[in-house]
Amino acid sequence: MAALLRALRVGRALRGLGSVVSTPAAQPPCSNLTRGFHRAALRLQDESKADKPPSSSPSSTPYHEHYRAHSAEQEAAGAPQEHSVSEPAAEEASRPNTSYQDQSGEQGEEYETEEQLQARILTAALEFIPLHGWTVEAIAAGTEMLGLSSASTGMFYNGAGDLVLHFVSQCNSQLTDILAEQHNQIQLGQAEPKKPAEFLRDAVETRLRMYIPYIETWPQAMSILLLPHNIPDSLKHLSTLVDDMWYYAGDRSTDMNWYTKRAALTGIYNTTELVMLQDSSSDFQDTWDFLDNRIQDVVNMATTAKQVQATGETVVQGLMGAAVTLKNLTGLNQRR
Amino acid sequence: MLRVGKQKADGLGVSAGLSWVVGDAEELPFDDDQFDIYTIAFGIRNVTHIDQALQEALRVLKPGGRFMCLEFSKVTNPVLARLYDAYSFQMIPVLGEVIAGDWKSYQYLVESIRKFPDQEEFKGMIEDAGFYSVKYYNLTGGVVALHSGFKL
Repeated sequence: MAALLRALRVGRALRGLGSVVSTPAAQPPCSNLTRGFHRAALRLQDESKADKPPSSSPSSTPYHEHYRAHSAEQEAAGAPQEHSVSEPAAEEASRPNTSYQDQSGEQGEEYETEEQLQARILTAALEFIPLHGWTVEAIAAGTEMLGLSSASTGMFYNGAGDLVLHFVSQCNSQLTDILAEQHNQIQLGQAEPKKPAEFLRDAVETRLRMYIPYIETWPQAMSILLLPHNIPDSLKHLSTLVDDMWYYAGDRSTDMNWYTKRAALTGIYNTTELVMLQDSSSDFQDTWDFLDNRIQDVVNMATTAKQVQATGETVVQGLMGAAVTLKNLTGLNQRR
Repeated sequence: MLRVGKQKADGLGVSAGLSWVVGDAEELPFDDDQFDIYTIAFGIRNVTHIDQALQEALRVLKPGGRFMCLEFSKVTNPVLARLYDAYSFQMIPVLGEVIAGDWKSYQYLVESIRKFPDQEEFKGMIEDAGFYSVKYYNLTGGVVALHSGFKL
């Protein structure tokens, strides 16, 4: 029943869109909605797909706040087709965005914000990295794949830096998803909890394996990340990555340990990444062995530190006992 | 103006791939979705209906195409603004009369600069026309501004 109502509303929306799009020049007040639907509407008419049109009203992104006020007053003015258009948009806002490649192979451009479109361009550009390297040419190839003119690479004022940072952030989100999934499995009792050392070892390996498709060009990407204007962003990504890994490993420390643990893991991660660049063994087995050894080092160091502390305390107690005995023997302890 | 442009291009040896077309910015003689980049330098100030020119720019650009406009704008620094106003109204028409024998055109020039919307307002107009990712960049403290928008 709900589906039927939704279909009816979408049908009305399509007819309404038809009338809005056919006279764009004559209705400047409608232009902001028309603009949003510009590309999608043309395709909607062609394919009569019931996909979500890009909406300006239910979106809560800051970019569209400016237009929400304007479109709100238009809806209040009672233009019926625009109102019915925003309704299915509001309903379908809860549905996830369609992928940019749909069944007929044509690229749809439904998106809510320019940030999302930029993310899609950069994701498309990743395919062309083996060919062009981490450069603006790869981004241009990505835009062309999405059907946009390559002049839109001008949107990326940081050029290749945007591409690398996007990829790093994407890998971090993928890792967080995997770790969260593992955590759920443990909560549900379907998997055994791992010890921190083993957990971190697996997490670092999973994360570094995401670089394998791009390993030839990864040195170029690393050098881009080390450029002065990119360092704040790359450090931020690295620190959130390490923090997430420790959090899912079970760390809840609130003292100096918080810093030492993350510093140690950062060191392990960076050195393993560098080793991976030079590794030519099959399936990077040398890298994983190196990783094992480093983690073992840190574990040993932690154990040794505890032992030293315990020994130190014992030694101090022994000395105190000897001093008291001496004082007893010489009679200094007795009060006279 | 186009003749001068053609002469310059020929002088540089660039002639292939260029076509020189006279048209109306509010009603361009081109089809939709034709061009990767639309640039206009010191021209949009003279268009009667700027929003129509912007809509035409949107129409003829391909998806992903870039609109770029170089135009006089508002000087942000107040001290510089006073100096600039004095120079504009006292000196420029005089120089125009002395060098080109044309006071009125240069008077029109400085007046049209003052009538043109400032950076933020023009950015709003570009966004209203339907461009995304609109940014502007001030040159010479705001005497000239470069606006850029994308058709997405």
